[in-house]
Formats: sequence, C-alpha cells, structure tokens
Amino acid sequence: MERRDRAHVMSGRALERPDRESRLAYAFVFPLLLAFVFFYLWPAFNTLAGSLFRWGLLNPWSIAQPADWDFVGLQNYVDTLTSARFWNAAINTGIWLVIFPILVTVVSLVLSIRIWQTPRAGATFRTVFILPMTISLAAAGVIWTFMYDPDFGVLTRFVEWAGIDFAIDWGPIRFQTSQWLSDPGIIDLGFSQIRLVNLSLIVAGFWAFTGFGVITFTAGLTAVSSELVEAAQVDGATTRQVIRNVLIPQLKGPMTVVATISVIFALRTFDVVWVITQGGPAQDSEVLAVLLWKQAFVFLDSPQAGLATAVAIIMSAVLIVGAWPYLRGLTREKT
Amino acid sequence: MRQSRLTLTLLYGGLTVFSLLWLVPVMTAFMTSIRPLDEIRGGWWNFDNATFTFDNYVRAWDQGLASFVANSFIITLGSVALTVATGALATYAFVHLSFRFKRLWFFLLITTMIVPIQLILIPLLPWFRTLGLDQGAWQFVGIVLVHTGFGAGWAVFMLSSFFRAVPKEMLEAGQIDGASHWDQFRRLVLPLALPGIVSFAIIDFIFVWNDLLLALTLLQREFQPIQVGLANLQSPHLAQQDLVSAGAILAILPPLVLFSALNRYYVRGLFAGGTKG
Repeated sequence: MERRDRAHVMSGRALERPDRESRLAYAFVFPLLLAFVFFYLWPAFNTLAGSLFRWGLLNPWSIAQPADWDFVGLQNYVDTLTSARFWNAAINTGIWLVIFPILVTVVSLVLSIRIWQTPRAGATFRTVFILPMTISLAAAGVIWTFMYDPDFGVLTRFVEWAGIDFAIDWGPIRFQTSQWLSDPGIIDLGFSQIRLVNLSLIVAGFWAFTGFGVITFTAGLTAVSSELVEAAQVDGATTRQVIRNVLIPQLKGPMTVVATISVIFALRTFDVVWVITQGGPAQDSEVLAVLLWKQAFVFLDSPQAGLATAVAIIMSAVLIVGAWPYLRGLTREKT
Repeated sequence: MRQSRLTLTLLYGGLTVFSLLWLVPVMTAFMTSIRPLDEIRGGWWNFDNATFTFDNYVRAWDQGLASFVANSFIITLGSVALTVATGALATYAFVHLSFRFKRLWFFLLITTMIVPIQLILIPLLPWFRTLGLDQGAWQFVGIVLVHTGFGAGWAVFMLSSFFRAVPKEMLEAGQIDGASHWDQFRRLVLPLALPGIVSFAIIDFIFVWNDLLLALTLLQREFQPIQVGLANLQSPHLAQQDLVSAGAILAILPPLVLFSALNRYYVRGLFAGGTKG
C-alpha cells in the first residue's frame, strides 16, 4: 500500500482501486488456474465424491448421471480398512516410510559434510551423487533389476566372489543373499511380517533420490559462515567438534526439508516398485500406490474403482494432515 | 578448514570409493547396452574378448523405441512450454499484485507438491472421455494439460522466489513512467528472472520426461512416452537385457544432457526450493 501511495504522489497517476487490481491480477493467473481447476481440483473433487459410490472404470461414476449412482456411504472406507490386502500394502508402505527417509537424510548429510570438508574437487563429487536424480525412476528400476539379477547381477556376483554368500535362519529372522528380489527373507514380528524384498526396492529409490539431500544440505552448508568455523578452530575445537557443535545445529532447516520430502516420496512411491517387481513376489512388495493402481486399472471388470479412490483419499489425507504446518507456513511466507 | 594430511587422504579416499560405487549402476546399464547379450552373461566387468557394438540400440530403435522417444519429446516440450508460460504470468500476480482469495489459491496450488498424483488419477480417464481428450493426438493435449495443472504449484512456488528478487525500486520507477503491469512483466521481470525461469524449465523438463504413472494410465499404446515403453520392455520372464538397457540409456540421455549442459541452473533451482522451505 505504502509503495503505491508514494508512486501515486510522485506520478500524479490515479490510485489503482483494489478491485481493479484484483481483476487485473486474475487476468494474469487465469490461464494457469484454468488448467489447475479443470485438471487438478475437479478430478480431485471427483475422487473424493466417487469414494462414496460403488463403481468400476468400465462404468465410471459421473456426477452428471445420478440415475447410475450406487451410493454406499463410507462402505468403501470400511471395506478398505478391514481388508487384509490393504494392511499388507500399508505395512510395506510403512517400511518405506521408516527406512527411506532415514537412509536418505543420514547418508546425504554425511556425504555433504564430507564433501564440504574437501578443499578441492567438491563439485565433482557432488555431481556424481546428484546425477542419479536426473534418471527416471523407471530407468532406475530397470538398472537395479540388472544389479540384482540372480545370474549376472553385480551384487550377486560380488557376494559369490567375496565368499559372503550365506543364509541365516534364526527363529523369526530369515535372510539369504543372492535372491534379492525373489526371496531375500523375512522378519517375523508375530502380528505381522516384514518382507526384506522391500529393502531391495528401497535401496534403488535411495540411490536415485539421495542427490536431493546432497543439494539441499550443500545449500545449507554454504550459508554457514566460515568465520564461525575458523573461530571455533582457533578456540581449539577438533573437526569432529566443529561438525557436531557448529555445522549440525545450522542444518536443522535443511534436515526438516529433506526428511519431509523423503516422507512424501516414500508414501507416493510407485515407479520403482512397478518396474522391478510389480508388487511381487505375490504381494510381498505391494505398496499402497501399486494396490490402488491395480484396483482401479487392472481388475476392470470388477467394480473396485470406488475402493481405489478411497485408498487415494486416505493417502492424500495422511500427507495433507502431516504437511499441514509446512503448507500453512509456506503460504504465510510467500503471499 | 584446517585439516591434517592424514585426514585429507582418508577424506578423498573415502569419497572416491563411494563415488565409484555410486556409478556402478549406471556403468552396468551402459556396458550392458553396448555389448552382445551372450557376453553380458559372463558379467559386464569381464573384458576378455570384449566386443563393443551399437547393435542393441539399432534393434531397440527399430522395435518401436523411436516413436516412444518422439512422443516423449512432444509431451515434455508441450508441458514445459505451457507450464512455464502460464506459471510465469501467474507468479507475477502472486508476487506483485494483490487480489481476492490469493492465499486460498496459493494454498491449493502448493498442495500439488504434497499429495500423491493418485488423488486425481482415477477420475481422469472418464473425464478425458467426456472432454474428447481420449481420441488420437488429443491425448497429447490432455496429458499436457494435466502436467500443467499438477505442475502449477511447483511453478508458482519456485518462480516466486526468483520474481521476488526483482528490486521494488525498479518496478516503482517503471510505474512512474506509466508502464502497465503487462509492460513491466514483459520488459522488466521476465528478463531479470530469466535464470530462474530456465532453472524451473529444466526441473520441469526432467520431471515430465521421467513421468511414468500419468502416461501409463492415460495414453494409448501409440501415444506413450519412453518411460512406459521401458516399463513394458522390462519383464522378468524375457531375456532381453540388451534391448532394455539400450532403452534405459535412451530414456536417461535427454535429461542427462540437459543436466550436464545446464548443471548450474538445475542446482540453483533446487537450491531455491530447498532453502526457502
């Protein structure tokens, strides 16, 4: 306001009335909002509304055809939350949600600090770790299928060559090398089982995504003042102390960003699983996104799309509720 | 930072080993793609009597990969052009103008950065049918619009940090000279924010190029991009690692070339996303 008033006094031009500015602004945002409303908000609303009906994609639910509606209320949610297959997928997604963010955050943090310590060639190292970020997850999936190949995969052959080819069977824990995708083993928790094949897939996602952490932490590290580091060293702090007491506290913000984005990545994960195992063997690596896709697009003749939309709403609700403070903060900061 | 010679040796040694390990998957795909299948069975790291050939690429190309690549370019260039154009316009309003429901729109826009794309995926297919976007080349228009709608949040979010960097004094000076907002957008903000726009365009290019889920769901066979072609080529029951690896390298190449040529812009763009969080 103040800015415009000043311009007004100096130029003598009529003050722009707020509604005029508002209308002008809408001319600027209109093209983007058109695509946004028709191809995001409207389908999202349809997913929400459609989750209250029974339907399949051969005969899709449509707001314009009330005659064909088969209203079931919250039955899709009840069916979903009581189905063993949903909980199987939820547990597999849960494994992703726990392991993936920790792996990405810790490894990229350590790498970034180590690279930051090097006086020279830091950019080269960084490029190596950022490079897989440009690779599509479909291609990453293909590449890791090669890595895990039971006949000529690097990992399989390495295990043989190094003589660490073994299998263990200790009560609830079963594990064997060289069957990375077909049967690496399980951890039996009593009430449910953790299938280790999920870890094989997480490693592929981790390889592809760690560059994001390296970029974010490097941005954080360049903001650390070198005087602070030098002052600490003059006071006799060791490298380890500098890292723990000077660098890490300054990286709280980037750590939150990396952890948050990794959680989102883990919950949405589809491509890597789809390309490498399609959720198999059986449903051992089926995550929520894969289950949803099969329900909606594979079993076309059975009307399961309503169930799939319920899964989509549950996934989205978890993310939006979890990220609510983040979204609010961004909105307040940017507008 | 002052460090002893021993520390530095360990540091460089460790990082070098780790970097090499990090490159093994890419090397695997590359070596598999330039050697005949029966040699690969002995391990790609085995170089006794090795033959190197582009034969895999030729065969993959002839088996239909060419049209997948062409589709990828059509979809990606279309989406990036539309997202950048509409996104830049909208960002100007979000940064330099005030309007009703601005916060609400911004909030809704950035939910696209959080929610899974599955939120919109299922009704899109019938919606395309209603709009006639499931017919022939209209499918390209359809998927470009979805990429624009779903990329809108990222566009406004990332571009706004660059648009904000244009000094207020310059805009005021422009207003005094009687320039309209359209003039200011075109003559002042666009040129000054160009590096930021390039950064976003690269990130969006890589994002759209790498999309599997939308294309797999929405497009018929002859309109599908390379990622879908690759996913279909990949099958545990078929021993065609030679073709698949060639396909994977082709799928990786365009983003990689863009990344190496414009590395600085790419990293700067992600910086903006990372530090402003």
